[in-house]
Amino acid sequence: MYRYDEFDTKMVASRNAQFRAQVERRLSGALSEAEFRPLRLMNGLYLQLHAYMLRIAVPYGTLNSKQVRKLAELADKFDKGYGHITTRQNVQFNWPQLTDVPEMLEELASVEMHSIQTSGNCIRNVTSDPYAGAIADEIEDPRPTCEILRQWSTLHPEFAFLPRKFKIAVIATKKDRALIRAHDIGLEIIKNEAGETGYRVHVGGGLGRTPVLGQVLREFLPRVELLPYLEATLRIYNRYGRRDNKFKARIKILVQETGIVDFRKQVEAEYADLVPLDIAVSPEEVARITKYFAPPEYKDLEDIEVKTDDPAFARWLKHNVLPHKTPGYSIVNISLKPKDRAPGDVTSEQMRVVADLSDEFSFSEIRTTHQQNLVLPHVETAALETLYNKLSGAKMGEANIGLITDIICCPGMDFCTLATARSLPVSQAISERFWDAERQAVIGEMQIKISGCINACGHHHVGHIGILGLEKAGVEFYQVKIGGDPSENTALGQVTGPGFSQEELIDGIERMVDHYIDIREGEERFIDTVRRAGVQTFKEALHVE
Amino acid sequence: MSTLKHKGKGPQSLTANTLRDGLNVWLTPDFDWSLKYSEALITEDDETIEKMDKIGIQSESNNVVVAPYFIDVETESGVPARYREKFRVRGPSYDTATLIPLDIQKV
Repeated sequence: MYRYDEFDTKMVASRNAQFRAQVERRLSGALSEAEFRPLRLMNGLYLQLHAYMLRIAVPYGTLNSKQVRKLAELADKFDKGYGHITTRQNVQFNWPQLTDVPEMLEELASVEMHSIQTSGNCIRNVTSDPYAGAIADEIEDPRPTCEILRQWSTLHPEFAFLPRKFKIAVIATKKDRALIRAHDIGLEIIKNEAGETGYRVHVGGGLGRTPVLGQVLREFLPRVELLPYLEATLRIYNRYGRRDNKFKARIKILVQETGIVDFRKQVEAEYADLVPLDIAVSPEEVARITKYFAPPEYKDLEDIEVKTDDPAFARWLKHNVLPHKTPGYSIVNISLKPKDRAPGDVTSEQMRVVADLSDEFSFSEIRTTHQQNLVLPHVETAALETLYNKLSGAKMGEANIGLITDIICCPGMDFCTLATARSLPVSQAISERFWDAERQAVIGEMQIKISGCINACGHHHVGHIGILGLEKAGVEFYQVKIGGDPSENTALGQVTGPGFSQEELIDGIERMVDHYIDIREGEERFIDTVRRAGVQTFKEALHVE
Repeated sequence: MSTLKHKGKGPQSLTANTLRDGLNVWLTPDFDWSLKYSEALITEDDETIEKMDKIGIQSESNNVVVAPYFIDVETESGVPARYREKFRVRGPSYDTATLIPLDIQKV
């Protein structure tokens, strides 16, 4: 993985020293809250419903064991013994004190981590495929591109005060595990007819209160043109993006209001005016960065088939393990979706276990996923049973990846200052109702996503079943969307009608699931059946008295 | 004029977050700040509200609290009227911290 160079180390140290001084000035009263707020947000520090919250960047979801141990240490020393994996593959601590944050940031810098640009109207942490560098069908490892984007966008002076936040995701497979069409810019690494590697550029996607799927801005962008072209795109957004209304300030609104054809013309005109390839990354620099992501030293192994009589291990193999591109290795998903906890929460004890297991089984590499789970990307297939037993002993052996209890869920009213309703108890109630392993397997692939407000941090718009928590007159209620899809067949769900109480909601979901099982044909997944049979029949199941 | 958004609808309480740790606090009858809503000063008296307002501004400028504001309180129950404020009083209905230690096996 990428290692800081001298510039990175100096930049982060300098930024931490600045923030320490800013905190001191805030505590002394030299800075008012109005003056301090943008400064703390630039360093990922929010003031949430009950306390401060620190969001730590995990570039493209890649961590090493040393970093995970440091996160565990911070969780114990400065928080309440746990952290939370977000849908941008970042880590959040829910209870830090302002006075401790400078020390936390210095500790993070010691393992080459920071919180810069995890908030504010700037280019946020670039996300990617959690299986990058390990999955068989990728054109190339997308992380060097992510790292180039990280270096370009970090403290970019021109893009420090955009109209609104800006999110970029990169993938290199046909299968989309990073939801690129729900990003301001989604990059798909592809090959053209001549066999050259480049990018399909999507623009103007986003969820939130106005969900929009990204459209193709450029069908094929040669690799060397990436940064100049994105620079031109960001310039158009920075120039014409609305600043009069926060809710209409994202690039998706600009693209919608301009129209993709005219927006493309504007970008291309701006691009034509740029000094040709002035900021383009040379092939030598690409090669230098790519070296950081060189594959680990795999053993020369043959693929083997793991056989077992243990039904629990068999289920875990089926749902949590994927083939690796290297013979004899597998990709292992670690579920952070136990029945009784918040999706994505991981305790410091568990972080240490994951760090130790990554050292023992996965070349010290760990990934975070936008699905709020963890991945050990390079595990010897012969070691899977041992690994499974150790994960189970650490209460991380759930075999529910991609199933109905693998729910994406925002923190909701339990923690978030913007939320209108709780989301965690809904997630837990669904898990409780459907926890039986056999039943989950029968239901098959299912994506339930829950947001506690219209800002849609829980991605409910793209859930096969999406749930939006609202509140009226002191009572929480939940609206349901059906038919969303976060995969490469990205789709936004349709609203089904009036909302429900939590209890009614869980019953309604169960009726929809039972209805799906009744009418599905062959190997259809829930989303396939919704597409074939239509949303209406599921609405009727949901709303039956 | 205060910027604390007092709308004067029935009983009021003054709330904020502490600057140093960000925790929720409410102004008490002796015009100090408490982490317990049960100790909050709740009043409809205009003169007292005016004084609370001044204390809030002063506490913010003295760097004790962040962003104080008035909340409406239900007359009969004495709890905050808005759902969000009820949650600030109760704390999270779920927090993984309450499950720690998980009693897991070390590897």
